[in-house]
Amino acid sequence: MAVRMSQTTPQVADTELVVDSPDAPRVRVLLTAVAGADLSAALAVVGRQVYEPAPEVVVVGAETESVSSAASLEEAIAGTDSSVDYLWLLHSDARPRPDALAAMVSEIERNEASLAGSKLLKAGTMDELESVGGATDVFGEPYSGLDEGEIDLQQYDVVREVAFVQSASMLVRRDLAQGLKGLDPLLPPVAAGLDFSQRARLAGGRVISVPSSEVYHQARCGARGEGRWEQAGRLRAMLTAYSPLTLLWVIPYDILVSLLDSLANLALLRWRPAVRHGYAWLWNLYHLPSTIRQRRRLHAVRAEGDEELFRFQANGSVRLRVIGEELSGKLLSIFDDDQALARRTRRVWGSPGIWGAIIAAILVLLSARSIVFTGMPNVGYSFPFEPPTVALQRWFQGWNEAGLGAGSAVHPAVGATGLFSLLWFGAEGAARTVLTVGLSVIGVAGMGRLGGRIGIRGPGRYLAGIVLIAGPGTALLVGRGSWLALAGAAILPWAVRAALVRPGYSRGERFGLAGWALLLGVLVAMFSPALAVVPVLAVLLYRALGGDRGSILLGVVALIGGLAGFAFVAGDPGWIADPSRRLDLEAELLWPALVAVAAVPAVAFGGRSRELGLAGGVLSLGTLLVATTVAVGPGIQEALLITSSLGAAMAVAAALDRVSRNVFHIVAAIGGLALVVASVIAVGNGRLGLPAGDVNARLSFAQTLSDQPDPGRILFASVDRELIPGEVRSGPGFWYSVLDGSGTTLDEVWLPEPRTGDDELSEALDEIASGTDLRPGERLAGFAISWVVIEGPTFFLDEVLVPQLDLPPVPLDPDSRVYENDKAVAIAGTRDQPWVSDGVGYAGEAVDGPVPLAFNFDAGWSPDVSQSGWSMTVDGSSGMANHPAAGLDLTMNIAVAVLVIAGLGGIVYARRGR
Amino acid sequence: MKYLAAALILAFAVGIAILPSPEPAQHESQPATAVPPISVCPIVEVGGRSTNVAVLSSVNGLGRLTTFAAGGETGSLEFRTGGSGSVVVPAVDAGAIGVSGGLVELPSDATAAGVLVNSPDSMASESCADIPTSQAALTGGSTASGSAFELQLLNPYAGEATLEVTVTTDAGIESDSRFDSVIVPPLTSLTLDLTTIIPGRESIGVDVETTRGSVLVFGRQTIGSETAIWRAVAPGQDWWLPVPGGADPKQLLISSVGSGDVEYQVDLYGPEGLQEAFETGVLGSRGQARIPLDEVTTTAAAFRIIATGPVVADLWMQSETGLAATSASPVDAPVWLLPGAAGPAGGSGSAVVLNSGLEEVTVTLRSLTDQSLTRDFTLPSERVLSVDLVAANGYRIESTGPIVAMWTSQLGAARTAALGVPIQDG
Repeated sequence: MAVRMSQTTPQVADTELVVDSPDAPRVRVLLTAVAGADLSAALAVVGRQVYEPAPEVVVVGAETESVSSAASLEEAIAGTDSSVDYLWLLHSDARPRPDALAAMVSEIERNEASLAGSKLLKAGTMDELESVGGATDVFGEPYSGLDEGEIDLQQYDVVREVAFVQSASMLVRRDLAQGLKGLDPLLPPVAAGLDFSQRARLAGGRVISVPSSEVYHQARCGARGEGRWEQAGRLRAMLTAYSPLTLLWVIPYDILVSLLDSLANLALLRWRPAVRHGYAWLWNLYHLPSTIRQRRRLHAVRAEGDEELFRFQANGSVRLRVIGEELSGKLLSIFDDDQALARRTRRVWGSPGIWGAIIAAILVLLSARSIVFTGMPNVGYSFPFEPPTVALQRWFQGWNEAGLGAGSAVHPAVGATGLFSLLWFGAEGAARTVLTVGLSVIGVAGMGRLGGRIGIRGPGRYLAGIVLIAGPGTALLVGRGSWLALAGAAILPWAVRAALVRPGYSRGERFGLAGWALLLGVLVAMFSPALAVVPVLAVLLYRALGGDRGSILLGVVALIGGLAGFAFVAGDPGWIADPSRRLDLEAELLWPALVAVAAVPAVAFGGRSRELGLAGGVLSLGTLLVATTVAVGPGIQEALLITSSLGAAMAVAAALDRVSRNVFHIVAAIGGLALVVASVIAVGNGRLGLPAGDVNARLSFAQTLSDQPDPGRILFASVDRELIPGEVRSGPGFWYSVLDGSGTTLDEVWLPEPRTGDDELSEALDEIASGTDLRPGERLAGFAISWVVIEGPTFFLDEVLVPQLDLPPVPLDPDSRVYENDKAVAIAGTRDQPWVSDGVGYAGEAVDGPVPLAFNFDAGWSPDVSQSGWSMTVDGSSGMANHPAAGLDLTMNIAVAVLVIAGLGGIVYARRGR
Repeated sequence: MKYLAAALILAFAVGIAILPSPEPAQHESQPATAVPPISVCPIVEVGGRSTNVAVLSSVNGLGRLTTFAAGGETGSLEFRTGGSGSVVVPAVDAGAIGVSGGLVELPSDATAAGVLVNSPDSMASESCADIPTSQAALTGGSTASGSAFELQLLNPYAGEATLEVTVTTDAGIESDSRFDSVIVPPLTSLTLDLTTIIPGRESIGVDVETTRGSVLVFGRQTIGSETAIWRAVAPGQDWWLPVPGGADPKQLLISSVGSGDVEYQVDLYGPEGLQEAFETGVLGSRGQARIPLDEVTTTAAAFRIIATGPVVADLWMQSETGLAATSASPVDAPVWLLPGAAGPAGGSGSAVVLNSGLEEVTVTLRSLTDQSLTRDFTLPSERVLSVDLVAANGYRIESTGPIVAMWTSQLGAARTAALGVPIQDG
């Protein structure tokens, strides 16, 4: 974070220029009595000033015999006649050098300034610096740039324009002081100086620091800028100075920063900052009427906008920077003996995006609080991972156990989650939580890095990450429980970023860039296969709008990574093409409206913000339009909606990149902030927007009450499609799905294309639903359906299942109607000699002869599989049945492994070259 | 290009706002639900009584009688209706023991079943019930001295049922915890012995409301050695009731099941044709009216009961020549099956048919047995026909217009009567 101080006069002040001139300006000294300070000594020091004409002295706040006095500063200022040019506001605890006044008058004249401040040295020290003027952040927090105990070696002896000077010694033009009605009497010294400086600047005056005017300051006035009163005063100064538009975003920001500062300090076992923040707001609420009066006074003389204040303000929050430095310093000191890293953190905290990133990351982590504390929900499309070896086996061997099973590839996310669980020490439950929370942070970081790659540097690019995670499209998908949408959204900005290149990259980096593009293409396709096409499309759009950092070639490389999803799509083309399987989602009109508000003004932006904002807007609303008005398959729908959020996030990153008074920037910023707020609301449930519930826990009775090692299947039916976990099939007058009685896992979320068994089950349900089948249990038994669960509002099936003979209702769940089928066959083996699942296959007691498997027939099973109606039998003599990898699935999985190795190889090669 | 992009953004936003979403995916349409072709029968195999189940069908098909009691199946027997489309199955052959229930899976929709409960000195019959309703009522029981009245609650299904039983007698609404939240477990025949619970009541009406599951309700009245069985039916506002001829005491019982007053009107289809509003009256809350029919006519006749609120109507025949009861019919139909209807050897039996329409009809009676006998009759509108029955498994009555049919038989001091089963799609 760089402090911006303009250097107007690079040379050391030359006081000899004016002191003896007969036309020298007339100065009146307003000496404010400070409790505990020796007033007569102060008068003596003022009397020794080398300045002609000798300044007249008025004591403020005390009575003396030798000089005139005034009750208040405001009265003293008002009582000054027009023959006086300048007022020297001086505290009685200040001891100026004899040339201090002359130096200030000289420089204020030379620089055509209106307000000048002295260099304050701490009295009683070896010239320890107290203030040389300073900057503030947007919240009025002073930033002197001085180190604790820094000695004056004339290192700051240049006259500079500063944000503010302290009120202990300041020279102000008389007319300006009268226009501003002096210092705010309610404010403590530093805050008063800040307030006065800001008002002076807004009135059109320049504020400078004059280091050649040295004043020793005893600080009996308490002018160290600390304490709750000073904090309240800074807040009042901010409320007085800023325009309503600025206050609209500064106040919420300030509250957020205060909150973070308080929390961080509490973490360091300091409670006072929290109290100070609270006091500051209460104090200002109490004094709100007088603040409003102050604003009215300022309004009368205001000549400049808030930009004039912004010019002299430090980026980000000083408070967060300080606390961040302290926290990271403590952290790094554990293994950073020489403090090399700690020194670097200063730069890190000074970068414009870092606090945006931290705020975004904290917001996202807060949005995942329920996941951290109570675990992941098991509902919708979000279900536990299988044990890692089983998941990897299933992905590699291509046996999909969803529904009644099929010999087609499972969703590639099964492989990715299996691999991650394996890396997470095989603990798939913890891996799921860590991956979910981690992905949300990765998404935020990815959005920031994507903006950074394009050239956006502001904090908005990280805040945009929240919109990526919970924006217009992902909010809809995640709200329906789509964990994969969350994961896909988190990876997507990285994949798009991989297709963008830094300017001036070297030839040696090409392999690395291609490697990253390939690797991220594979990764994004593993979570949402259709997303693999987005990087190349985004690059094409970005280039069409004038962007120069997009590489179509890298986009194509990322697209090649999409092969990771090919086997799944080839095995279930309906996932892409069957619109009847799409989710019924309707975007609230607020989202497109806000995206338009954030993106359209980008037309007036300059350079990269314009390209990013417009590309984001087109991408977001274009994909949202297609997703909500065109009937497409669920895979395409998912990709469109995730891309819509990415586009919205891009628009937000551009909109919040910089704040100015330009009306387009203001409108875009309002739209961007509103999108961020809407997204935060969308994830406000503490589960990153995932719905609450645990279907597996509710259906655990199937496992508990089963007298078999494998509890069989559950037929789950409802007229409300949303209540059924995972993908559903259309039944006669209702929706249904066949679930694993031992608990649904992520691999069972997507149902494969219907096979013969699914058709026969459909026919059985038709018959049962017609009410003519007195023994529905017998009819369902062959499908290994041990339980029927009806969820949601009652419908005709409830009535149909009353007059029947073999599905007794069991009052196991108050929220649903449960029927037990004790005639159900075992999924593998027989009821007397059941086989149990063993990895992807089944194992049990070896028997002579065939062993039935209640799955859709698939010739890939061994040993000696043969079809038996819709299902199959295998030879039981080995005591095992398995579905080894073969055909397209095997080829594609090897191809994916090759792609990953190629990508890693490219990255490693590029790093070695570097 | 930038302006084009901005225009596209706005166009997309407007498009999202105004373009309709595609039709949401729909599940398949709800199939037309049908009632499974079953009948549920009360079975008594105790105290010298035995039950035969008569099944009449329009097809030669397979069926099954499953008997159940105390939460389980006690036995099962497959049967075939044969060339005559009829069969009589002794319940004991299907494993029936004691007071139990029988579930008859019928070979087709146009099928009906009925029970004949015989002992050396009594007989009773009733059509079996098919469609359980959430509310069913009957009237006519008595627990006065020498009388025993039981409710038989049959739950042939897999789910438990819960009932609220409201019993109204000459003493008002009976309050007894045994009538509240009566649970009938699956595959169970539960008997509520009202003689024990509320002895000494002359006139009883029962209203059963099923709050969960499904149950079929029969009343069983025993006076001396004679027994009558009749079904509880869903209350309605329009009833038809053919009545056999003879000078024996006969009563038309009408009970209201609602809480308010109900006006009723009884039309008489007598030898002189229709006599509207032959009897009118008002029933108070859960009130009962008894109309002596033998004083009206001694020939076969019929009655139509029209009420302003839900009521049930039963025929009650009690004399030295036996005891019989049956429920009135809420519908008329062109085809009726009379399972078990026959003229017993040494006794007599007759079918009573009402032409409820405004046109003259031709009525065909066919005895269902190995050697069936068919007879045709012309029946003017709003007139009643009584035909003697011969030995058979039952009768099928077809007509060219809407009719209502019942049957009765008598053997010594035993008597029985049962309404037929209407077949709408014949």
